[in-house]
Amino acid sequence: MSNAGVIFRREFAAYFNSPIAYIFIIVFLVLNCGLFMTPFFLAQLADMRDFFGNLPLFLIFFIPAVTMRLWAEDKRSGTFELLMTLPMKSSEVMLGKYLAAMAFYVVALLGTLPIPIMLAMLGNPDLGAVFGGYLGALLLGGLYMAVGIFTSGLLRDQISAFILGMLACFALFLVGVPAVSATIDGWVGGFGSFLQNAFGLMPHYQALQRGVLELGDLVYFLGLTAVFLVLNAVWLEGRKY
Amino acid sequence: MIEVRDVTKRFGATVALDGVSFRLDKGEILGFLGPNGAGKSTAMKIVTTFLAPDGGTVSVDGIDVLRNPLEVRSRIGYLPENHPLYVDMMVHEYLQFVGRARGLAGDELRRRLEWVVEACGLGSVFRKPINELSKGFRQRTGLAQALIHDPEVLILDEPTSGLDPLQIIGIRELIQGLARSKTIIFSTHILQEVSPVTDRVVIINGGRIVADGRIGELERAAMGRNRIFVAYRAPAAEAEAALRGLGGLHEVRPVAGRDGAARFEVRTDFGQDVLAPLGRLGQSRGWDLLELQESPFSLEDTFIALTRQGAAPREVSHV
Repeated sequence: MSNAGVIFRREFAAYFNSPIAYIFIIVFLVLNCGLFMTPFFLAQLADMRDFFGNLPLFLIFFIPAVTMRLWAEDKRSGTFELLMTLPMKSSEVMLGKYLAAMAFYVVALLGTLPIPIMLAMLGNPDLGAVFGGYLGALLLGGLYMAVGIFTSGLLRDQISAFILGMLACFALFLVGVPAVSATIDGWVGGFGSFLQNAFGLMPHYQALQRGVLELGDLVYFLGLTAVFLVLNAVWLEGRKY
Repeated sequence: MIEVRDVTKRFGATVALDGVSFRLDKGEILGFLGPNGAGKSTAMKIVTTFLAPDGGTVSVDGIDVLRNPLEVRSRIGYLPENHPLYVDMMVHEYLQFVGRARGLAGDELRRRLEWVVEACGLGSVFRKPINELSKGFRQRTGLAQALIHDPEVLILDEPTSGLDPLQIIGIRELIQGLARSKTIIFSTHILQEVSPVTDRVVIINGGRIVADGRIGELERAAMGRNRIFVAYRAPAAEAEAALRGLGGLHEVRPVAGRDGAARFEVRTDFGQDVLAPLGRLGQSRGWDLLELQESPFSLEDTFIALTRQGAAPREVSHV
């Protein structure tokens, strides 16, 4: 574990060694809060449902932009060979990188805390839903992040890694949208519903957003995240042959 | 210390290594030679466990690279061909990162840092960002990274590529300085870099080992004959006829010389003394002897001869 810690420290610092981190966080906060504030002033409701409702689509762009560099940059610069000849497992290197990207996302997410604080001061928000919303945001981000780090490993070019990661996240998002699964059902009977139940993230995410904590939803997010991380580890080992 | 046996590696349809074997004892330095694309880097990547061989076995210090790659990695310091540098970091941050990743901490890490900075001459750039460094300093930082954990084995892929002559000498001296305590493989396609550092070479071409031995032995084996230049102040045709009449010369070839000089390149067997007869020939005919020298084949000649023959693998000698 201390091995992953060394990688984590270097990767986390790498985000903040360049101005991109600050631009990212500012864009994340301005867009998210901007998108939230308009309906907030219109509806004048002390809840964050609109805020969390925007996230699944918004993160499809944001997370792959955070993860695209994780392997692609190393592969291009030659540091990939350094990492893969360190006396630690490639899965430890991967975990360090993954957690660093997650920590960066958490920092961005922490920047939105003034919203619930403001709501608590202005009204009486349902704190369970706010808590569930943040948990959902973490789990959703964690899943997208695992998809992103996996696609970053497949490619040498950061932009291609970004686009591929975005498409993969978008696919996970789409199959969970009822209109889409109904359309697929129309083509192949039952297939759309199967995809929605097995992979679609919206039903699980919406449950968390309502403040409902169910084991099935946690298993979905954590399980699918683990699947992509394991795929990434398998790819790292398989690359040698 | 390093044993490579019958290693093959394919990338798709391309055969990068085809039955490569060589071994290296503790404390030896091996110059790994070959034209670009011969398979040098691939072989080194397999020894460092970055790639796995398709067939054959590789062991470092008796440890198999496939069975226990982490143990092998902890014994090796590796400088890949492309600078393995994080350009967004400072030199000291980068070296600390690699040191920690290799399990160093606290006082030990500080001691090793001081040592590599001294040994690689990085004192003046220690607190500079890597992206501001010149190519020479980047290469040294890469070398420092390979040395930070005081490895028993050093694998250096083209450590001097792209450096100017002074920097090359610096790197060469550094390698020589490490020679006594470490087992080193370094690859290059520049032949002059080998002989000052070591006389043990392996030449690889087209994925096969074409020669393995001491430079001197390889020269003899590759070229077969000794080479001598001789020049007299004499009519060319007459001198050539006289040389052909002399016993023990395999080949007599006129070559360009100074005005009025008849200059020839002659080939003889190794160990045969022809210098004295050639000298006496001039005296007996009354020709002034202008030049008489043994001109051993250079590493270049050997290299070119061996890589041309490369189609069939040949083992010159095993050390």
